[in-house]
Amino acid sequence: MCEIPCFDMSSNQEQNFLNYGIYTITDDVEFNFPGTEIKFKKLSENAFLYQKNDLTEKIVEKNVPSASGSIQIEICPIRPLNYPAKRTDYVYLDFTTPVFLPSGSSVVLNALCQIEVGIFVIHDSTKDSLDWFDCNLSDSRFALYGPPDSGVLCKYSKSPIVSSDIDSDPYENASIQITIKNELSDGRSVRRIVFPATAFSLYYKDNKAKFDNASAILKKKLALELIDVSPEKIQTDWQKSTTYEVTSTVKHSQMGVD
Amino acid sequence: MIEFFDSLAQIEITETLNLLGLLIGGIIMTIGVIVARTVRIFFKKYYAPKLSKDSANNLGKLIYFGIIIIAFLIFVSTTGVDFSGMLVAGGIFGVVIGFATQSVVSNLISGIFLMIEKPVRQGDSVEIPAENISGTLIDISTFSVRVRQFDGTIIRIPNEKFFTSNIRSLTSSPVRRSQGVVGIAYKEDIDGAILVLQKAIAQLMPFVLVEPAPEFRINELGDSSVNIEILVWHPREDWGEVQPKLLKIAKNALDEAGIEIPFPQRVIWQGKD
Repeated sequence: MCEIPCFDMSSNQEQNFLNYGIYTITDDVEFNFPGTEIKFKKLSENAFLYQKNDLTEKIVEKNVPSASGSIQIEICPIRPLNYPAKRTDYVYLDFTTPVFLPSGSSVVLNALCQIEVGIFVIHDSTKDSLDWFDCNLSDSRFALYGPPDSGVLCKYSKSPIVSSDIDSDPYENASIQITIKNELSDGRSVRRIVFPATAFSLYYKDNKAKFDNASAILKKKLALELIDVSPEKIQTDWQKSTTYEVTSTVKHSQMGVD
Repeated sequence: MIEFFDSLAQIEITETLNLLGLLIGGIIMTIGVIVARTVRIFFKKYYAPKLSKDSANNLGKLIYFGIIIIAFLIFVSTTGVDFSGMLVAGGIFGVVIGFATQSVVSNLISGIFLMIEKPVRQGDSVEIPAENISGTLIDISTFSVRVRQFDGTIIRIPNEKFFTSNIRSLTSSPVRRSQGVVGIAYKEDIDGAILVLQKAIAQLMPFVLVEPAPEFRINELGDSSVNIEILVWHPREDWGEVQPKLLKIAKNALDEAGIEIPFPQRVIWQGKD
């Protein structure tokens, strides 16, 4: 019994991709994601050809050796840090609607954060990153938090607030539950949250994804008013995503209050 | 064997130094060099990766030459050579050498200050406008700085010249700004043209930052066109993905939208009697 969802792709198949999980590929297979097409072609008993074709019209091809005539891959959500290039570990969540918090109040909300999709080859119980792609290329951009000389470069994510953690769009974003607490002496609006994505794990179930929870506390430190953002590990029956980035153990990250 | 060493000890080079002492000194120096190299190899392998490039380089040199100097001092102390006479001669010699090697010493001192002040670091992209040099800083050594220019050639700049020059660091901040100017005809709608440019940049330039957002300024009401200045921010490493493509993308977008980029025009009125 496989804990992670497992699928056999034994004959020539072309399908719209449905669920994240582990796929055993024994023949030619094609997966269609929004804006991206993935193919595995069997070249011989010992090799497969991996092809990716996306909206950038750059075809990526890689040969994947196979000792047994089949390969096992895991397709899962990964942190949105790779497209257009790996430049930062930070994510900038820009709420579509700012959240107002009166003094001493707190709110728990579910926001959406962009993700990318990773493809990992499984062999001898290890998972190696074969490739990744972004199903939402046009919105995958950078933003700077802070001034140009000393700010933090972040991956930008327009972040609508949703009602529950299953409201994410398949392959495009993941939900993140954020608890925002205002410990300042007056009411404030929060319109963005900046955090190191490598400190947050991703989980998936079927075609939905979610991050660890985040806690954001507006507080005063000496003369500075700041938002202290920290990850909170969640207990869930969702499958933890594979990652190839070095996971950081950042306990807090601090940003200024608008 | 003992007789052999005794015979070496009998051969005097100076009053206090004999051939055996010189041989022992040579052995001490050889061991010193071997130890210095070994320590430097271990340092580079295990500790240097944890430090910044230039700190690792400088500390590596300090350890290497430090051990060799210690070995030399041990050698000197074992020989019992009296250096007091040499100090006087050395002082006079030093003045002569000082005048003769003024620029060398100046470069050495500048190099030390460069290592302390660290206006730029190894691997930074730098520009020295006065010298018309731009490229990646390879290293700051004892007497000179080496820069790999963007055309692939390597240029050596004496430390003194580098230290006293205005240095523009292209990689000290996380982002950079690129810009370009594009002209549209007077008959065109300015806001419409800016909207076209905004959309093209958002769709075709993934390295352009969402925040700070691209800016569009009317740069000039020119002779033939309304000139729009485009200012976009991008990660510092990705200048090559933005600046060389910016005007091409702007022109293509304006062409596709049917917005005229005018040629220079002159309206000539012929006077009549």
